[in-house]
Amino acid sequence: MTTRITLMSYRVLSHTADTGIEATGDSLSSLVTELATGMFSLVATIEPSAAVRWTKVRVESATPEDLVVDTLSELVYLSEIEDLVFCAFKVDSSRGALAISVEAGGVPVAAVEPSGPPIKAVTYHQLVVEEREDGWYGRVYFDV
Amino acid sequence: MITPAKIEAVEYRRISDVVWELAPFGAMTVPGRIFASQTLMDLVLLEHATAQVANVAQLPGIRRASFAMPDIHWGYGFPIGGVAATDIEADGVVSPGGVGFDICCGVRLLASNFTEADFNSHRERVMRNLDQSIPRGLGKGAIAPGDLVPEVLARGAGAALEAGYGWEEDLERCEEHGTSAGADPKTISDHAIARGGGQLGSLGAGNHFLEVQVVDEVHDSNVARAFGLAEGMLVVMLHCGSRGLGHQTCTDQLRAMGPAMSSYGITVPDRQLACVPVRSPEGDQYLRAMAASANFAWANRHVLAHAARLAFAESFGVSPEKTGMRLVYDVAHNLAKIETHDVDGRATELCVHRKGATRAFGPGHPDLPEDLRATGQPVLVPGSMGTSSWVLRGVVDNPAFFSAAHGAGRVMSRKQAKGRQPGSRVRDQLEAEGISVRPGSIRLLSEEAPYAYKDVDEVVDVCARGHLAAKVARLRPVGVVKG
Repeated sequence: MTTRITLMSYRVLSHTADTGIEATGDSLSSLVTELATGMFSLVATIEPSAAVRWTKVRVESATPEDLVVDTLSELVYLSEIEDLVFCAFKVDSSRGALAISVEAGGVPVAAVEPSGPPIKAVTYHQLVVEEREDGWYGRVYFDV
Repeated sequence: MITPAKIEAVEYRRISDVVWELAPFGAMTVPGRIFASQTLMDLVLLEHATAQVANVAQLPGIRRASFAMPDIHWGYGFPIGGVAATDIEADGVVSPGGVGFDICCGVRLLASNFTEADFNSHRERVMRNLDQSIPRGLGKGAIAPGDLVPEVLARGAGAALEAGYGWEEDLERCEEHGTSAGADPKTISDHAIARGGGQLGSLGAGNHFLEVQVVDEVHDSNVARAFGLAEGMLVVMLHCGSRGLGHQTCTDQLRAMGPAMSSYGITVPDRQLACVPVRSPEGDQYLRAMAASANFAWANRHVLAHAARLAFAESFGVSPEKTGMRLVYDVAHNLAKIETHDVDGRATELCVHRKGATRAFGPGHPDLPEDLRATGQPVLVPGSMGTSSWVLRGVVDNPAFFSAAHGAGRVMSRKQAKGRQPGSRVRDQLEAEGISVRPGSIRLLSEEAPYAYKDVDEVVDVCARGHLAAKVARLRPVGVVKG
């Protein structure tokens, strides 16, 4: 028997009422991928390969912080109206440093056993998105 | 920004039995005032909420103090349990973060003609009917159709009433009569309408619930009678808000407000505190959008109460009218409102932010319905799942712009709570205590376990000792429908 170990570059942050995620990435777009993965992992634990429906969103923002919050907020919106919990992300940043396209794949809510409450919104509280010597770092708190 | 590390070095002192003051320092223009017993204060100091009280005390135009109710805990930007009033004439600001994402989240309490014995003899049927008729949890599900949303945004619970939900008398016992003034549906984005379209008449998840409770202990029988309550009466309490529509509206408004701040020369210690003058195009835009979202929330609770009446009527084989499930009161705990208060001896028009704090008007307030003007406003304080909830009343000498606690207040993170016991054990314990539980998700039940919250009785005690509100009745849960 082999055990597959998934190396995650995000971490769940404790908060009295809500929850946060901090993550790292080689680039801003990979940071967005990690934060999005971490955010939906709060709702349910689903393997990326389980995605059965895909949807796409384009986001353009003024700053890296805004790009992160705007993209995650769009994914929260899409998740709610499409009735999906996302578990896989393909991010394309070829249009510019502060413009990305995200293809998000998910599983219908009805097929998911939730591990946490749904994400209501992405907050700016103690938001950090910065480029460091070893890559990008981000910290985001969510209202749940 | 005042960081948690800095706050430890700052002096706070107990200025009365249950009031602690944080003296102004740095950019604070008013003190912080926290209502807490020694036990509750010890819990407050374990987290970052005190720093958030200090941050709010820096908002332009803030008056008197940055208040924290006894159920205060760490929020985002504002603390949960925070009250801040800004002077509109003095370029006082409005901050969406001072309202929160769940705009007009609140509590609704219904009386009934039933007793605990009635409930016990129909328990399974009542819980099954509530389980089936109250949409909740992850995903779509609503009682009312999405095409009602545009009318609801404009007219709140009144639009739901016209569509056949609820009773006309409900509007009289709802804060703002279930319709927030100044609502402008045009300020609500297509994204928000899309989210709200499938959610009108739904609880949501997390700490939202419908509870069947018994009036267990009456502390003021005259006031209880005026509220329509009596010892032994079965009641129904609902806790929910404006759902995805409100969450999206706050997201939209925060996004727009961030860049606008610089044009007014405003800087804030935490971007979640983004704010603009109340009297500015952006401030006006926010208040109109907030009011439209509040209308969704009033209507949401109105529609859910309608469903609860039908569930009880079917369970007991009577008409909804025969259930006697009259509205005791519906009050919000996440709103910013334009109110006139005395500040330093002068009647001052203020924008009062209550984020996880309940409005608590005292006797004689002109905004109260005539039959409640002598008693003061009902203040509804839900406890944690499995513990008591309280009905209080507003008092005339409330020092915090007529505000009181909104619940027990979390003391443990969701992760900590989940790690302590599985949801199935939490359910078994509640059932063993005579509380029937119908969770949206059994796994999430553990996040809302009683030990994740402060002792609501102590929170209410501090409300009473701090002249925030007076005790009327304690309610004991017998059935929980959890989001």
